[in-house]
Amino acid sequence: MKRQTPSSMNRLHIMALAVTMPLLAACGVTSRMEPYKQSDAVINEGEHVVILARKQHANHETEEDFVECISDALAKGSTGLDVHASKEFEDKMYPWFEPSTAPLSTEDLTRLLARPGVLEQVRTTGVRYLVWLDGSTDRVASGGGITCAAGVGGAGCMGLAWWEDDSRYDATVWDIQDSESEGTIHADFKGRSVMPAIIIPIPLIARPQAHACRGLTDQLKQFLTSPQGYGGPAAPDVG
Amino acid sequence: MPLRLTYRSWPRLLAATMLTGLAGCASEVIVESTFPSPLVEPLPVNMGIIIPDELYNYIYTEDVPNQSLWTIALGDANVAMLEPLFRRMFREARTVTAVPLTGSDTDLDGVIEPTLEKFEFDVPVGERDQFVEVWMQYQLTLYEPDGRPIYQWPVSGYGKSELTRNREDAVQRAAVVAMREVGATISTKFAEQPQVKDWLGEKENGTTAASGPQAAAGIPNEAPNAE
Repeated sequence: MKRQTPSSMNRLHIMALAVTMPLLAACGVTSRMEPYKQSDAVINEGEHVVILARKQHANHETEEDFVECISDALAKGSTGLDVHASKEFEDKMYPWFEPSTAPLSTEDLTRLLARPGVLEQVRTTGVRYLVWLDGSTDRVASGGGITCAAGVGGAGCMGLAWWEDDSRYDATVWDIQDSESEGTIHADFKGRSVMPAIIIPIPLIARPQAHACRGLTDQLKQFLTSPQGYGGPAAPDVG
Repeated sequence: MPLRLTYRSWPRLLAATMLTGLAGCASEVIVESTFPSPLVEPLPVNMGIIIPDELYNYIYTEDVPNQSLWTIALGDANVAMLEPLFRRMFREARTVTAVPLTGSDTDLDGVIEPTLEKFEFDVPVGERDQFVEVWMQYQLTLYEPDGRPIYQWPVSGYGKSELTRNREDAVQRAAVVAMREVGATISTKFAEQPQVKDWLGEKENGTTAASGPQAAAGIPNEAPNAE
């Protein structure tokens, strides 16, 4: 075998860098957050928040694990909020938060709370703020390909595959006590994953949904604990 | 939600499984869940409830091309959904076996009988960004105590659930969503049906002294003989 000279080693390093850097640059998450708050309401001691998914859409629906992610993350840490379990809330309020009966506007909410026993039941849950999550994570593009082969001497793969996922969510905050909408946070996280294969496939996976969960949680915490005047688009991050 | 097999469900599923299992690849689902009582104001009538055997033992089978032979047992879920629903919807709900009513049941204002008329489901072949869908249609028949039918009301429910690796689990979750929808429609729209509204008006006028104040929603309604 031919021995590599220092100059050929350098060339190899440069080639490896030339291949790796674009791949790493191609793999990442870009984000856009647009918070809008129209009141100075904040969550007080003893008040709870509940996260619910909008289920009226035929084609998409916010994923259950995303709702759980936001609920868990909001409750976590020293600055955690009192979060009411979504399923438990829907059960206690049954049948008024099912896909066909859930209030679509704050006027609907006012009418719902006027029904006998409904407001009393809400009070027993301690929930003051209701966060409606709308949106989903979808694959918006994909391409490339990997070919694998196996023989007597061994097996291996060659090629490059990539795909792009888009996590778009709106979190709309309602104040149940005052029957009004407090504002909306729009989050759009795009993630491109790549998988080069040189003998073995190396997945470099971007997780825009996980980033969207973290981003929305931070914004929601700020939304519910800071009076009017908060907010500002988050800087794009690369994951 | 994990599948749970109960003592009562086993014999029914066993029979279905023996038939379907022989045919090759088979998927079995026993839909089970707990359903909450609806937060509604009870209607001021005392009702008899007929749960027919077909509803208790409802098993749907369908051979889906390029997939498998599906067997979906809905009997336990039917009972779990309908019993607390009717118990909360009416001032009193009592299980009866048939109309016309006889003996001590003649004091009831009417009888309601639910049946499951249609069940459809769809499990996509792919695994990403897709949902399992379930659609079902019940029929509620309202009878006078003497057996005269007053109104037949078809009530449908639709449910979907993210398709996961466990297709049976996804079907189970979609079916539960559809059943919750049915329960929501029955509990919120039954009294709004024109014929039911008229019938309730007649009953209220005829039994004003007996009706009394309606119980507040949220307080469990006693149903001495309901199972």
